[in-house]
Amino acid sequence: MVKEINDSIFDEEIKASGEPVIVDFWAPWCGPCKMLGPVIEEVSEELQGKAKFTKVNVDDNPGVASKFGIASIPTVMIFKDGNPVDTLVGFRPKQSITAAIEKHI
Amino acid sequence: MERYDIAIIGSGPAGLASAINAKTRNRKVIVFGSSDLSKKLTLAPKIDNYLGFYGIKGAELRDKFKEHIDNMGIQIENVKVNNIYAMGEYFSIMTSGDTYEATKVILAMGMEHTKPLNGEDKFLGRGVGYCATCDAPLYKNKVVTIVGYNKEAESEANYLSELASKVYYVPMYRDDYELTQEVELVKDTPVEIVGQNKVEKLKLKLRELETDGVFVLKDSAPPEQLVPGLEVEDGHIKVNRKMETNIEGCYAAGDCTGRPYQYMKSVGEGQVAALNAVEKLYTK
Ligand SMILES: Cc1cc2nc3c(=O)[nH]c(=O)nc-3n(C[C@H](O)[C@H](O)[C@H](O)COP(=O)(O)OP(=O)(O)OC[C@H]3O[C@@H](n4cnc5c(N)ncnc54)[C@H](O)[C@@H]3O)c2cc1C
Repeated sequence: MVKEINDSIFDEEIKASGEPVIVDFWAPWCGPCKMLGPVIEEVSEELQGKAKFTKVNVDDNPGVASKFGIASIPTVMIFKDGNPVDTLVGFRPKQSITAAIEKHI
Repeated sequence: MERYDIAIIGSGPAGLASAINAKTRNRKVIVFGSSDLSKKLTLAPKIDNYLGFYGIKGAELRDKFKEHIDNMGIQIENVKVNNIYAMGEYFSIMTSGDTYEATKVILAMGMEHTKPLNGEDKFLGRGVGYCATCDAPLYKNKVVTIVGYNKEAESEANYLSELASKVYYVPMYRDDYELTQEVELVKDTPVEIVGQNKVEKLKLKLRELETDGVFVLKDSAPPEQLVPGLEVEDGHIKVNRKMETNIEGCYAAGDCTGRPYQYMKSVGEGQVAALNAVEKLYTK
């Protein structure tokens, strides 16, 4: 499951205890984001319990988007203990997203 | 949506060799490319190393290829493919107009010979992009520079000028430029994209532009941009002996896989790719 989060709860959400938190930055007008959505959803099912999955709509939440310098979407960021540990820019196939996340589990 | 068995990206020797072999096996095939098949083929003055056709002109060989595909009822979809997304079980193929789906993909788009700008790779996704209209809303009220290699880039510049606070256009070709008043034409040669964590400036021979984003717009994007996640080595798509790439169901053939850049190598690879793709479709 991928949880929709926003500017106001962002800091709280990325501080999950121990497990990595995945944030998918997207917007409704972005074609590749629409393709990536279902892929992330699948990855979240496979890695259930090992990582937490969230998404942020950058149109509605310019705060976090500019804080992390999101200049292109989709961008997927991986946080650990509240700190960014990896940034994946652009669409990726499922295998490559899973591999990137597993490095931090 | 109608799903093709095999989508072939490119209408040069490699793509056409794939197409006729896939068609022979009764597979539902779609070929993307241009109606003149391949600019390189048309330009070749005289070809002495294509077995069976000693001394043939490129344009003559092209006409023979055209006759061959016509006889087999293969048509070419005259559109540019912008992106191919590996969805797992299938591929989503985006063009400027429609979206297509195919179970297998064969990449046969030849080679883009222009080198990337200094800093282009470093800042990719951090201010550098290849599709201005895709990322446009992120540059609302910001400064954007477009390095345009073709006419189409001009309309992207015009579109961006409605959102961005400032748009510079750096043309890499000579022509009349159809730009709106808001777009500033910069006739100069780009040297380097610079910045700290993200793009801050584009340095040119004669001047420097302060800018938040730089879009590099060419006829075809680098293969790893066309197919996100694709493994590329020294500018060529990495393949094995079956012409398989690192993405399951995605094959590559022709100049895009590496040297030598020649017709016989291209058609041979196109054939191997198609036969393996067909084989996988059967065993599934
Ligand atoms: C002047 C000249 C002379 C040559 N002489 C010889 C010779 O004598 N002998 C020899 O063996 N070789 C020769 N070559 C090399 C030969 O032309 C190439 O090796 C061959 O054309 C490669 O075939 P290909 O199918 O891989 O790619 P290409 O022929 O480059 O075809 C690729 C096609 O894909 C299309 N395409 C690219 N991207 C996309 C996209 N995103 N969406 C849709 N379509 C796309 C392109 O428009 C193009 O039509 C010569 C080349 C040149 C330029």
